[in-house]
Amino acid sequence: MSTIGIEHGPTTHVATPGGERYDILKLERVKQAHIPFYPEQEGVTADGNTAAAIATLQMWRALIYPGFPITPSTKWIETVAAKVGAQKGTKKRVKLLEAEHAVADYMVGAGAACRDLIFSTATSSVGLDHMTETTRSLGASGLGNVMIINVYRATANFPLCIEGDPSDAMAHRDDGFIQICARGKQQIYDTVLQAPCLGMHPEIMTPTMPGYYGIKDSHRNARFIVEADTAVHEFQDRWLQPCHLPGTINGDTAMGNCVTSRHFQGFKINQKRRIERVLDILPQIGADFEKTFGRPGLRFFDETAWPEAGPVDIAVVGMGPDYGTFESVREAWAKKNDVSVSGLALRLLNPFPRDAYREKLQRAKVVLVVNQAHHSGRGHLTLDVADALAGIEPQPRIVSAFAGMGGADVSEATWEAMLDEAKDALTTAPRQPYMVFHEGARL
Amino acid sequence: MSSFKEIATKDSCFRAGSTLCPGCMESVAFQNIGRVTDNGVKTIFTIGTSCAEVSTLAFPNVVAWGRGDESSDDFGKSFSILHNVFESAPTLAEATRDVADALTDCGALDRPVQIISTGGDGGAFAIGLRTLLHTIHRRARVTIVILVNEIFANTGFQYSPATMPYADTSTTPAEGAPGNMNPPLDYIHLAIAAGAGMVAQLSPAHGKMFVKAVERSLEVEGTAVIFVPAPCISGWKFEDGQTVELALLGARSGVFPAFMWERGKGGSVKDCSLEASERPDVVDFLAMQRRFAHLVQRDKVTGEVKPKPGREQDIENLKGWVQSNVERMYSLANLK
Repeated sequence: MSTIGIEHGPTTHVATPGGERYDILKLERVKQAHIPFYPEQEGVTADGNTAAAIATLQMWRALIYPGFPITPSTKWIETVAAKVGAQKGTKKRVKLLEAEHAVADYMVGAGAACRDLIFSTATSSVGLDHMTETTRSLGASGLGNVMIINVYRATANFPLCIEGDPSDAMAHRDDGFIQICARGKQQIYDTVLQAPCLGMHPEIMTPTMPGYYGIKDSHRNARFIVEADTAVHEFQDRWLQPCHLPGTINGDTAMGNCVTSRHFQGFKINQKRRIERVLDILPQIGADFEKTFGRPGLRFFDETAWPEAGPVDIAVVGMGPDYGTFESVREAWAKKNDVSVSGLALRLLNPFPRDAYREKLQRAKVVLVVNQAHHSGRGHLTLDVADALAGIEPQPRIVSAFAGMGGADVSEATWEAMLDEAKDALTTAPRQPYMVFHEGARL
Repeated sequence: MSSFKEIATKDSCFRAGSTLCPGCMESVAFQNIGRVTDNGVKTIFTIGTSCAEVSTLAFPNVVAWGRGDESSDDFGKSFSILHNVFESAPTLAEATRDVADALTDCGALDRPVQIISTGGDGGAFAIGLRTLLHTIHRRARVTIVILVNEIFANTGFQYSPATMPYADTSTTPAEGAPGNMNPPLDYIHLAIAAGAGMVAQLSPAHGKMFVKAVERSLEVEGTAVIFVPAPCISGWKFEDGQTVELALLGARSGVFPAFMWERGKGGSVKDCSLEASERPDVVDFLAMQRRFAHLVQRDKVTGEVKPKPGREQDIENLKGWVQSNVERMYSLANLK
């Protein structure tokens, strides 16, 4: 399918399952208009919000950046505004809306107008909540060119606190977005670059929500590599082809229709089928990214100390930057207690890669699952892991822990306390369905 | 500007087969807007959830939109429509405009597009007042058409912020109560104050004026807002065939005067005298609708319309509101 339109007069068009599609957009002109932010690869020291902003700015398909401030969780929109404002001759635009809900609505309009451009924004906590009516529409929309960067923060405003725990991300798991958790500035940058390749894949066409922990990752600085804009383009262009479905500008189409029950049911099934394809496509994109840039690309999870084969005593499942503290205490604690300990740091939150977890965790005698978000039961991740392990004989014992709630640091002492409980579970059943840990102690 | 006759022969993007109630003013408005937009420019509609959406955009049943029986090879004839939640239509339109402009700025799109947002007064003045005013405030180059039927018709004829005084709605019942006692939101003034480039209150009952206003709205700088008084046969409870007559009477009696205004030029009230004595009696407007059956009654023998016993003061109050409404519109016309 060509992106070359003709200059004047009647234009050709082709029928698609979504309507008629006119060959009217000259996308190569958008690419040509892109002024590189980073002509060469460069080492940068910055916080996570800046890393995410740089990644979105480097995409030639990103022309408009809609946003609404969410203080202090992310200054993504402020950073984008400053860099776009400072770049003379740029065609990129910042769009300031009046509320997060308006941003989400705007993304529907913009994403539908041109399905070949990428529209990203960033939000957090109650900002994401305020978007919810439309994020759930977006999740079903097929607009994979929409990306909402979520800076994890508890959604409760009563009481109000700015610290980051992933309650918001967990609360929005059913919005229909592909949710990917990043930890560390490099992973944030790399994840944002890859996310549209996944969301806009013709078999997936589902919006993405890359995320990272508030304060711990959003506000703390670290060194990371920024690739040259041209290298970013080459990578994304391998994965992003002109959308086969029409947008409202280049199409003769109707979107967001009111449908009969029968068609709605089929639509929802199709939505589920499309997001399931993430489990096949994500590793391919991740592998290509690694081959291109020499850094790990998208994965279902990061692995820690898994032997090639054979059982492990304890497997830890966690997410976010506090998992790094586990990595630092793991070896010494394992040696001291004479047990083997491995770990999985979650990367793909939604859809949950159940089979991949099952394959790994069935080798463990005990699985310690660390939940950091409020949950009325045993914990979001615990339920996912339990589901992944269902039917396995012998069933690994699951120790469900809550730690780092409200954005608290999961200290070395807290990790050791949780691992002590996991060790006990090697010989006896966990004493409770779930346990809460804080500041080095089981409460 | 095209002539009225010329526009009447255009190919409307609103097609046959909608399930809007027979006699609904919305379909008449869409038919006319659809013809005006057959001007060689790609047309994109955005629509909030409303009667107009659920009754015209039903897949796989009739999608009553599109220009021609088949898509044309001519891009200037092509048509798209996008629906999202109740309040979103102006923001969707603004986003579409921005994308078109950004593509044009890059040289990636060399054909113009025209963008029209549609929705009801429930979506615009209640749940969607924020989005309406801010899209206007940002001077988005779109036309916003708001079909004002004074109720949430789609969800069961509940009160809306545009409901006129004493109207019987399902949430301001008139049985044992006076009906709605909240004066309507001054939405015309709000649109002007928010920065609209053009504001009109016109229905297709004023045919020429209506199509001229729609045509003008596609040309003005900034946001053009057209409030379309839309008699709702099911919610207002009037007889078949009276839609246009009722819309004219409502405008001429001062309930929703025809109004046209442009920034920098000012405006005017059309076909509605400032003097009450020179206007049709609003009581005649009330008498055509059963939503005011608690206020007035028609003598079966003489045909004379009179206040119901005990409702005389309510009628006087309502007439007072109508007069203040007309005076307000004349004042707004003087704004530049």
